[in-house]
Amino acid sequence: MGLFEIMHILIIMIYSLGTLLFLTGVCTANDRLKKIAVWVAVAGFTLNTVDLAAILLTDSAAILSGKFYFNILAWAVLGVYFFLWWRLRLEFLAITALPLALLLFVTSMALDGIVVIMPPELTALFFGLHIGTLIVTMGMLIMAFGAGVAFLHYNRKLKTKAGLASMGKDIPSLDKFDRVNSLAVSYGFPLYTLGLFSTIFWYWIAPDKAYTWDAMKIVSLAVWFLFAFLFHQRLVIGWRGRKPAILTIWVFIGMCISLIHHTITFKALP
Amino acid sequence: MNRKIILVGLNHRTAGVDVREKFALTDVESVEKGLLAHCPVLECLCLSTCNRVEIIAIAKRVSEREALDSIIEYWAGICGGSPSLLIENTYQYTDLDAVKHLFTVACSLDSMVMGEPQILGQLKDAYRKAVEEGAAKTIINRMLHKSFSVAKRVRTETAIASSAVSISFAAVELAKKIFGNLEGTKAMLVGAGEMAELAATHLLQNGVQDIIIANRTLSRAKELAKSLNGEPIQIENMADRLHEVDIVISSTGSPVSVIKAKDVKAVLKRRKNKPMFFIDIAVPRDIDPNINQLDNVYLYDIDDLKEVVEDNMAQRQEEAAKARAVVEAETATFSNWLNSLELQPTIVDLVDKNEEVAMRELAKTLKKIGPVDDRTHKALETLVLSVGRKCLHEPICFLKRRTQEEGSAERFIDLARRMFNLDDEDVPSTAHIDRKMKTCSPEDIDSLIDVSKNKEQ
Repeated sequence: MGLFEIMHILIIMIYSLGTLLFLTGVCTANDRLKKIAVWVAVAGFTLNTVDLAAILLTDSAAILSGKFYFNILAWAVLGVYFFLWWRLRLEFLAITALPLALLLFVTSMALDGIVVIMPPELTALFFGLHIGTLIVTMGMLIMAFGAGVAFLHYNRKLKTKAGLASMGKDIPSLDKFDRVNSLAVSYGFPLYTLGLFSTIFWYWIAPDKAYTWDAMKIVSLAVWFLFAFLFHQRLVIGWRGRKPAILTIWVFIGMCISLIHHTITFKALP
Repeated sequence: MNRKIILVGLNHRTAGVDVREKFALTDVESVEKGLLAHCPVLECLCLSTCNRVEIIAIAKRVSEREALDSIIEYWAGICGGSPSLLIENTYQYTDLDAVKHLFTVACSLDSMVMGEPQILGQLKDAYRKAVEEGAAKTIINRMLHKSFSVAKRVRTETAIASSAVSISFAAVELAKKIFGNLEGTKAMLVGAGEMAELAATHLLQNGVQDIIIANRTLSRAKELAKSLNGEPIQIENMADRLHEVDIVISSTGSPVSVIKAKDVKAVLKRRKNKPMFFIDIAVPRDIDPNINQLDNVYLYDIDDLKEVVEDNMAQRQEEAAKARAVVEAETATFSNWLNSLELQPTIVDLVDKNEEVAMRELAKTLKKIGPVDDRTHKALETLVLSVGRKCLHEPICFLKRRTQEEGSAERFIDLARRMFNLDDEDVPSTAHIDRKMKTCSPEDIDSLIDVSKNKEQ
């Protein structure tokens, strides 16, 4: 077993341990356990960073493989989570970030067969803008999805007067969940727009390339319209709370469909 | 055994308010002085609150009955009541039962509102007074310190005090679930009822920045605004100011709704959907119940709040079982310490600890010098054990002499146990706030010894 394999197994073990500790901490209302879980996630994130850097340094062609993208997506989810943890003291969202980072990392191990067709011209533009921005947007949407589900759940409990005990003493306030949504929409939409239109721009300037509409691009554009509507309603009309939470969940589902569609399309390519 | 722990007390369960009033101890310092002077007790502490009076005493070498009777008689005497009435309304505990009761009181398991935090503060005050009077010595010191740590453990390990059990606290807790930190939020009182005032006070204590008081009678609004440092307005102007506030507490005597759903809808638009929390404690209700259907608006009426409080009370009862288990375990630990206050177990512990250190150091030396034959090994072992024992001769002799003096046995044995750390206690870093922070690692102590020896030379 090579060093890379050992590191991957170690990362999976650390992410699993973090997930297990955090879920146990939530179930038993043990703050200490939750704190340990977050620090375990920090360790996993550090190793994941080292792993990504090592992949890029040892084999630059690795960025053509699908597994690299799921690996970097797992990394981005935790990156966004740590940002929210630092800015909003929102430890609770580890309940979404840790299991998803684990799932994405494990998926990255299983996606060896997929090859990304990297355009030969303007690779930096394509990679930096298209892939980079979409990965960060996805990380943000994953966190906003978690916050949205939590908001709807606890909002319902408050509205139906389910009692304070059922809301748990360490659960963040509805306002905090809504702030995650606000951050994800305010930063996520411009990033997604940049990511999406950089492809069109690349088609436009690349020689011998003609932009054609296919199902993959239509799904991505449909998600963009949904996201644009959410961005408008949230920032211009002043939507807060339940409505943006529901719409964010739909945008996230749309993004997932688009991502799966991309994966299938890439796999079908020779 | 030199000491007998005695606890005599009455509380809201054993005595009515008239009896509690009659036997309340208003000047506990002089009662403690009196108990030491007139009763066969070595140490004592008195706690007197509106719901309970407790006297904890360590009896001299007399029978349990004699000590109890004299305390009851003295207590009844200073309060001008009859001892028989006092006996009828009190509970009496001795030794570990007394310790357990004290721990139960400190953890607020015996309080009228289970889990309320005031009792611990009252117990700390009572202890401070007893220490100042010189009435609390070795055993009471240890009992009270232990009771504080048990109370802390119960608060950390159980949710006994985590939920609100009053209407106003429930309102604050709910507001925190919506807004998180209440810093910077603004509230409005519609009507100036007593209960609304109490809820507003709690909100202000929890960070609410400004408060507007809207009342039909402006003079009453002004009066309340003065005490709450708020802004008084006429109730007719309430609708124009509603968009400024995050929390509304309503308690008018109006027979019809004062705040309607369609008005709130317009207010929300002006607020750009910022959430609002309405607390309606009026009967009949002041706020249209339909506003709870609006997004970002939360409405709780008096029945909803009562339900929250009842739920929390039930949750505290569940947590009480966990807390009682902690009390049981800590009482057992305290019992070990009490038993160790005899000379013989202390000598055994001292010798055991010394032998353990000697054997550990021998093992280190043998590791350094390499393998030795059995005879040398045996000789070295005898040497270190004998040095260890010889070093203890003088301290043991001193303890033996001191324990023959009346009343000083526990003090010196306790001192010796702490000096040699026979109970393996951790001293928290905050234990001595007025002393310089110094670590006590073996390396630190070794260097301290070296420095001291060099200075002497």
